[in-house]
This record gives sequence, C-alpha cells and structure tokens, in this order.
Amino acid sequence: MDLSFLEAPLIIAGITGVFAGVIAILDSIVNNYGTVTLSINGGKKELSVEGGTNLLNTLSSEGIYLPSACGGRGSCGACKCQITSDVGPHLPTETPYLTKEEMKDNIRLSCQIKVKTDLNLQIPDSLFNVKQIKSKVVTIKDVTHDIKEVVFDLQGETIDFVAGMYMQIVVPGYGKIKGSTQRAYSISSNPSDNGMCELLIRLVPGGIATTYVHEHLQQGQEMELIGPFGDFERTMDDTIMVCVAGGSGMAPFKSILFDMLEKGETGREVWYFFGARTLKDFFYMDQMKELEKQWSNFHFIGALSEPQPEDDWDGETGLITDVLDKYLKEKMGDKKKQGFLCGSPGMINACNNVMTDNGITLDQIFYDKFA
Amino acid sequence: MKQTPANKKALTNMVPGIITAEGFLGDDHRALTEIIAEDQSHFKRENLDWEEVAEKLQYFMDQGRKGLGEPITVDENWIVRTDEARGHLACPWEDGVFRKINAILKNKKNSLTLFYTELTVHLLKEHQFLEGKGSTFRLEPHLIKEVLYG
Repeated sequence: MDLSFLEAPLIIAGITGVFAGVIAILDSIVNNYGTVTLSINGGKKELSVEGGTNLLNTLSSEGIYLPSACGGRGSCGACKCQITSDVGPHLPTETPYLTKEEMKDNIRLSCQIKVKTDLNLQIPDSLFNVKQIKSKVVTIKDVTHDIKEVVFDLQGETIDFVAGMYMQIVVPGYGKIKGSTQRAYSISSNPSDNGMCELLIRLVPGGIATTYVHEHLQQGQEMELIGPFGDFERTMDDTIMVCVAGGSGMAPFKSILFDMLEKGETGREVWYFFGARTLKDFFYMDQMKELEKQWSNFHFIGALSEPQPEDDWDGETGLITDVLDKYLKEKMGDKKKQGFLCGSPGMINACNNVMTDNGITLDQIFYDKFA
Repeated sequence: MKQTPANKKALTNMVPGIITAEGFLGDDHRALTEIIAEDQSHFKRENLDWEEVAEKLQYFMDQGRKGLGEPITVDENWIVRTDEARGHLACPWEDGVFRKINAILKNKKNSLTLFYTELTVHLLKEHQFLEGKGSTFRLEPHLIKEVLYG
C-alpha cells in the first residue's frame, strides 16, 4: 500500500512535537522560580513556598487568607498587603485601587504579584486568625422579599471574632459561571455563638453570589466560609453611639447590639437609625423593640422613605440621612458622639456629611463600607 | 462591518473570567461587529438616540443613588434602586475603568424594568454595544424604549 500521502502530515506533526517539547522545557526553566521564602511581619511567620503563582493564592495555600471579593481577578482591590522587599514597580492593574500614600508605602495587590523571589511582607496580625471552614447550611429564612438570613453550622470549628467583622462565602461555579467566586458579608450573629455563623444576604439582581444564595443554596448543603475579616467594631468608651444602616447593613449592628446586651454594656447610650423604603423592606423590628425594652439607653429609630398607604406607618418618614439630621439637631443633646455606619459608599458619604455638619468629627466616624 | 484590532482585543476581554466571571456575550455566537450592527439597526427602528439613552440611564442611576441603597421614586413614574459593590470593572475596549454600581430601573406605568451598570452606560454610549443575547446585563432596544419612554 502506498502511504506516501502520510509523509507531509507526519513531518509537520513531528516538527510541531519537537517545538512543543522545546517550549515545555524552556517554560520549565524560565518559569521555575524554585523554593522561595516569604517572611511575614518581620519574621513572625516564615514560609517556604514554590514560586510561580500569585501571592494571594500562594498565601492561601499556606492557610493565610487575605480578604478578596473577586477571587484574584484584580477587580476588587481588597487583597492589599505591604511588601517591603523589591518586587518591581506598581502594575497598571494595581494603580486604580491604590492611593498615592499607599503606593509610597509599597502597598500592593497580592493577586497581581507573582512570587518569584524571597519576599518580606506585612499583613495585619488578625489575618493569622482567619480560617477556611467547611460549614453546613442550617437554615435559610426570608426576612424580607429580597434579604435572606442564612445560618451556617461550622461543623466543630469555631471562629473568634469581634462583633462587626465579616466572613467571605465561597460560591461554587454554577450555570455559566465556571470558577468559584468569593463575596464578603458582615456577621449578624453573636460572637459568643462561635460554632455557628449568621449572615444577611440581599439579592442583587445579576450578582453571582447573591443569586446563588437566593436561588440555588439549600438547607443541609455544605459551603466554604473564609474569615473572620475586618476592623469595624465598637469603641470601648462611654461616648454616645450613633449607628446608621439600611437593608443588609443591619447585620453588623445586630451582632454588636446583642453582644453589648450580653456583656452588660447597657449603661452606654446607643441610637440606631435604620432606613427602608416601605414596610416590606423592613425587618427585625420586633427584635429591636425587644432590645429597647431590655436596654433603656438604646433607642431604635426606624424610618420609611416612601411608606405605602397599606403600611399604616406612624414612625419617622424620609431618607434616613434626613431623619438622622433631625435627631442630631433636636433630640440627642450636646454630649460627645461617635458615628457607626454600614452601607454603600454613597450612603457612607451622605451620613458623613450629616454627622460632620452636626459636630461629629470624621475621626469619630467608623464605617463598614461594604462596597 | 470590519473586525478592527480594537474589536478583536475587546472580544478577548469579553469572554467569561477575564473582566467578569460571566463575560459580556451570553449565549450569543454572532461576531461582535454583527451584534453591534444589528443593535444599531434596532435602535434606528425604535427611533432611539444613543447619546440621549445614555444620558437618561446615567440620570436615573444618579438619582437612584440618592436612595442610599433603598429603592427611590424618581420623577413620579420610575422607581430606581442602586447597589454598589467593591471595586471597579474595566471596559473590554480598555478605554475606561468604572465603579461597580448596578441600577434597577422600573417604569411604574408598565412595570417593565431595565437592569444596568455604570459600565453598561459607557458601552452603550461609546461603543454602541448592548452586550450579547443571554448576557445578564444585555439591554434590549425595545425594552429600553418601553422603560425610558413608556
């Protein structure tokens, strides 16, 4: 049989194979960075790792989790750390997320830094406390038409957190979404219940994580949680606390308030302003009213911006910032106050303006800007 | 329409996992130039103006942000809710970076809604790109007309 027609394809296949082999060998030489040392917080922790992958993933494979809302895609700017050894200039993918001061201090986005040589880095010590936990969903409850209260059992693990901190949920790929996605949500449960974790998750149409939680997550299902993260917490003095939230921004305040009640910090005066559009967007009213009964210095001010006739609402109306302004001017006296805010950047900015106009200085306003 | 180098680059940025997990093309297998050209004719048929639509969408988003995350009535006939997420998204054509702000715009008269982002407005205004069919953020021209002008 004449097989000469195979000659050309075989020659081409052979040459291609040789090239592929050469490329594979060159790649293993050029991109083989060998074992490198990561020295964290002045040698408090030293890690020997294989070079070649980004710093965010390298650290997480060693059990050190930096916050990340985009899973290393370079679109959230959350995974910042300070690198004190030379890793080259800032990349164009980093600069939109860094201030001039941060760039001067060698703050980098860990997801954009490829580990090639020994590195010295600084991270908050609290991140050594962060764990990745395989939890199980115990309950999923609708607290409004678009907010779910999800309770996770940590299956024997515990998390040590301060009320106000947040967890990241790891959403597996589903539908058209191939890889996993991480998103951050404030913990709404009490720190003393450290074998479980409660989160409030509001549906954001088109949102990968919130759609998964609202449409796919089932009771009894396992889910990876990473945390705790964050530095939003109450101060420990007797200054009047002025707390403001809307929607799922309720979460950290629920945790803080019930923690204060449990720890007997009821001598402190707290004003909690919670805004919603209509009654169907309002939740936990009974819990807040009950808290007022047990804690005479706690004042809950709910406000609806657009109450409907069927709501039969006799409480405050208007945007929560307007209600806050009215109370600061007319009802809360001149005693020193601190602001505690949880919401979108727009909400934080609006509240900052109201509070500073009413004598609360910016350094006395603390916030969990969940965006 | 000719596939320009800029469009080729944009197309590589539009696949899932590059800028967003879901990408910009949905289930649409048409060429990028074809998607844009067809939407341009739809816009013409619906008598819509790209600049004016972009301005209106931006206006409703800006007004919606005053609701501080809660839905708010704008100009009596529309309800807008905005959500803001951490970080920014780059345009696939690499000519801008945009905050992750979503707006849900509902026309109270016909109950139809548009769902869009700050990046969507830029894509519509600068590239006349409404995303591929099946994409979460795809804006259908007839829906734009019904929500904005209905």
